Amino acid sequence: MSVVSVDQVHKYYGDNHVLKGIDLKVEAGEVVSIIGRSGSGKSTLLRCINGLEVFQEGAIVVDEQAVEDGEYKLRLLSQSVGMVFQNFNLFPHKTVGENVMLAPKLVLKKSAEECRKIAKELLKKVGLADKFDAYPGNLSGGQQQRVAIARSLAMSPKVLLCDEITSALDPELVEEVLKVLEQLKEEGMTLILVTHEMNFARNVGDRVIFMNQGKIWESGPSDKIFANPQTAELQSFLAAVI
Amino acid sequence: MAYFSDWDIFRNLLLAARWTLLLSLCAFVGGGLVGLLLTLLRSMKISLMNKLVALYVELFQGIPLLMQLFLTFFGLSLIGFEVDAWTAAILSLTLFSSAFLHEIWRGCIDSLPKGQWEACRTLGFTYLQTMKEVIIPQAVKIAIAPTVGFSVQIIKGTALASIIGFVELTKAGTMLNNATFQPFKVFALVALLYFLMCFPLSVMARHLERKNNVSR
Repeated sequence: MSVVSVDQVHKYYGDNHVLKGIDLKVEAGEVVSIIGRSGSGKSTLLRCINGLEVFQEGAIVVDEQAVEDGEYKLRLLSQSVGMVFQNFNLFPHKTVGENVMLAPKLVLKKSAEECRKIAKELLKKVGLADKFDAYPGNLSGGQQQRVAIARSLAMSPKVLLCDEITSALDPELVEEVLKVLEQLKEEGMTLILVTHEMNFARNVGDRVIFMNQGKIWESGPSDKIFANPQTAELQSFLAAVI
Repeated sequence: MAYFSDWDIFRNLLLAARWTLLLSLCAFVGGGLVGLLLTLLRSMKISLMNKLVALYVELFQGIPLLMQLFLTFFGLSLIGFEVDAWTAAILSLTLFSSAFLHEIWRGCIDSLPKGQWEACRTLGFTYLQTMKEVIIPQAVKIAIAPTVGFSVQIIKGTALASIIGFVELTKAGTMLNNATFQPFKVFALVALLYFLMCFPLSVMARHLERKNNVSR
């Protein structure tokens, strides 16, 4: 049973047809990279998977739950799907520790002690154990993004969605964030990432999805996609970004 | 004719200033409560609710405060509700300031990045949890300075209540002028007292603004 299954999804913004029949299945433990030009619908697809955007046709099932509109259903869904954003979206008025502890406390109703333990563990995992009491504003971009990853993991999601999570970082900070993702892959986490990091997609990712004009234009195992692109569009895209 | 020494004038103005302060305070607290309710209603993003709140705001922002005072004081009595000057003044000032405070606070909430709401949604927070833990604590910080700034407008707005016969600072000034025929002295003192009430608030607003800018 796939962790994420997207079936013939269409999405419109008014008259603008942004997703034109997307089919995608992601198995547990898989790392799938979605690449493509801006405006090709890759972020929109990601945001449909966790219900941040509504879609008009088709079906998405995540961890055996259908993604449907409605606040309650989306709240349930949020326990299976984590999301990390390009701009971190940490809570600036709370410490790093509080950022990570908030969701298990409010949503999973865990005790303060338990939340603390989870947060300490996760921050250690992303290499920020010593920043528990710091405020996000005092961290570098790379550190903030690692906190954001820890915050998502605190809900122990089945799949983690990453929306261009290294695009807002200075080049020298990208590596530390990608390292965390690599580590997550080794632990068996399912990852779907919209990314511009082609090296990461090639070396760490299992599968690459190339999106163009709202469709999945070409997809396949990472090595094959990069070594031997079939369509002219993917060839010209790869030539432009590598 | 009674004789008024300078001290008498000043003392009477000072006594009347109490009512200006009390009226301002009532209007601020009342307006704040109603404004808060409006802000919460509007942030729920229910289409009909938004339209009703928007209509309310347009109505009370678009009609001069003086007309609102006339309508509550004279209008309500025409349709059978006897309201005294106190009630009419508090009622109008509350409605008036609630509309403005709501607009200020809504602006503060809207100025927070959309990503804060999205992060809360992806973590599974309810609407109330999102407001309480994430949105309000950040919005309050931005809102303090303009809110204190608006309280200056309320204090000055209370002067209009003199027209419906409410004896606050301006009305007392008018009465004392009628008795003493010393308009320059009387109204200069009135102006001074208003300034003494408003100036500290302005300074405070500026100070808070700077403080919050640094911490962000």
